[in-house]
Amino acid sequence: MKSIDDLDFSKTYTYADYLLWKFDERLELIKGKIFKMSPAPSINHQRIIVNLLRPLANFLLDKPCEVFIAPFDVRLVRNEKSDKKVKTVVQPDVCIVCDPGKLADQRSCLGAPDLVVEILSSGNNAKDLPIKYDLYEVFGVKEYWVVYPIEQCLLRYVLTEKGKFIAGGRALTFGDKITTPILPGLELALDDVFLNLN
Amino acid sequence: MNSIDDLDFSKTYTYADYYSWRFEERLELIKGKVFKMSPAPSGKHQTVTLNIASELNFFLKNKSCRVYVSPFDVRLVRGETSDKMVKTVVQPDVCVICDLTKMADQRSCLGAPDLVVEVLSPGNNAKELKIKYDLYEEFGVKEYWVVYPNELSLIRYVLNNEAKFAVEGRVLTVGDTVITEILPGFKLALDDVFNGLL
Repeated sequence: MKSIDDLDFSKTYTYADYLLWKFDERLELIKGKIFKMSPAPSINHQRIIVNLLRPLANFLLDKPCEVFIAPFDVRLVRNEKSDKKVKTVVQPDVCIVCDPGKLADQRSCLGAPDLVVEILSSGNNAKDLPIKYDLYEVFGVKEYWVVYPIEQCLLRYVLTEKGKFIAGGRALTFGDKITTPILPGLELALDDVFLNLN
Repeated sequence: MNSIDDLDFSKTYTYADYYSWRFEERLELIKGKVFKMSPAPSGKHQTVTLNIASELNFFLKNKSCRVYVSPFDVRLVRGETSDKMVKTVVQPDVCVICDLTKMADQRSCLGAPDLVVEVLSPGNNAKELKIKYDLYEEFGVKEYWVVYPNELSLIRYVLNNEAKFAVEGRVLTVGDTVITEILPGFKLALDDVFNGLL
């Protein structure tokens, strides 16, 4: 398929199909259904990604976990691993993968990242938030951070032993610091996450 | 005092002082310290505030609780009720008061409202997200809703048995409905909260 116009948005597709698509538009596949991604994100959205990436990448230099930024495919799977069976492929803004086995086929991540960060962009993906929240919960992402670039705060959801996300307290904002059991020793200041925004 | 320039922002004031100020700027008093309020809120902020208040007001017709919108003073107190002892006076965007004896002195609310709603503005919201969160929790506001007009989201913090705010589940967004034990039968569709912005 060479054009996005050839896709049938009512149809169900797999990762095998997705790999063959040769057009430029970015898409996500959720339970086989196609979701278009918004066009180029805002400047502040991209600034926040860099602000997050800077300390994360430095911190992980000598550690087994790796950090990735979109576009980077994450295949969310239970047991079905063959390309023709995989029906959910998403592109989180930032994710951390601690199990190198998930990266073994060198194409993309197979299985849930340990940490996923999504930066919202003005309403568009607020509507997608429940879908992603449910997906990450069901497929066992250990932590899910949602960043609000305009209101400048961050919500941290942590997977409990029962496999449900709970909010780790109030929204984090200026003056706060994030720590996570996924990356012991890391301390992210929210002032730095929201540095140089306008 | 006739001008805001006469205030000493490093000093501690009481409701008795506050009540005697005659300038136009809106202020809040938190544990005796003066906090300037932002100038006129944005159109989005006011649309959302009005949407929430009008849904509440319609529901509360002929019921015993009342809804108030800012500017409206709420004195947060424990035992101390005399003007000279009261050190915290805030102006929530929307609040619901079910115990009308709190309105007995006809000036403003004395004690915690049952429900407080704060609508965030673009930029630094640390006052609403941290300082007021802590205040409302400490003084026993039963529910605190924080609304994100740009990201079309609402977070509901509910005071639990240990007198701590807890959030159940994910952020609410378009397509979701808010219900609350404070107002049995009341249903607030997020589509209605963001009506005019969608």
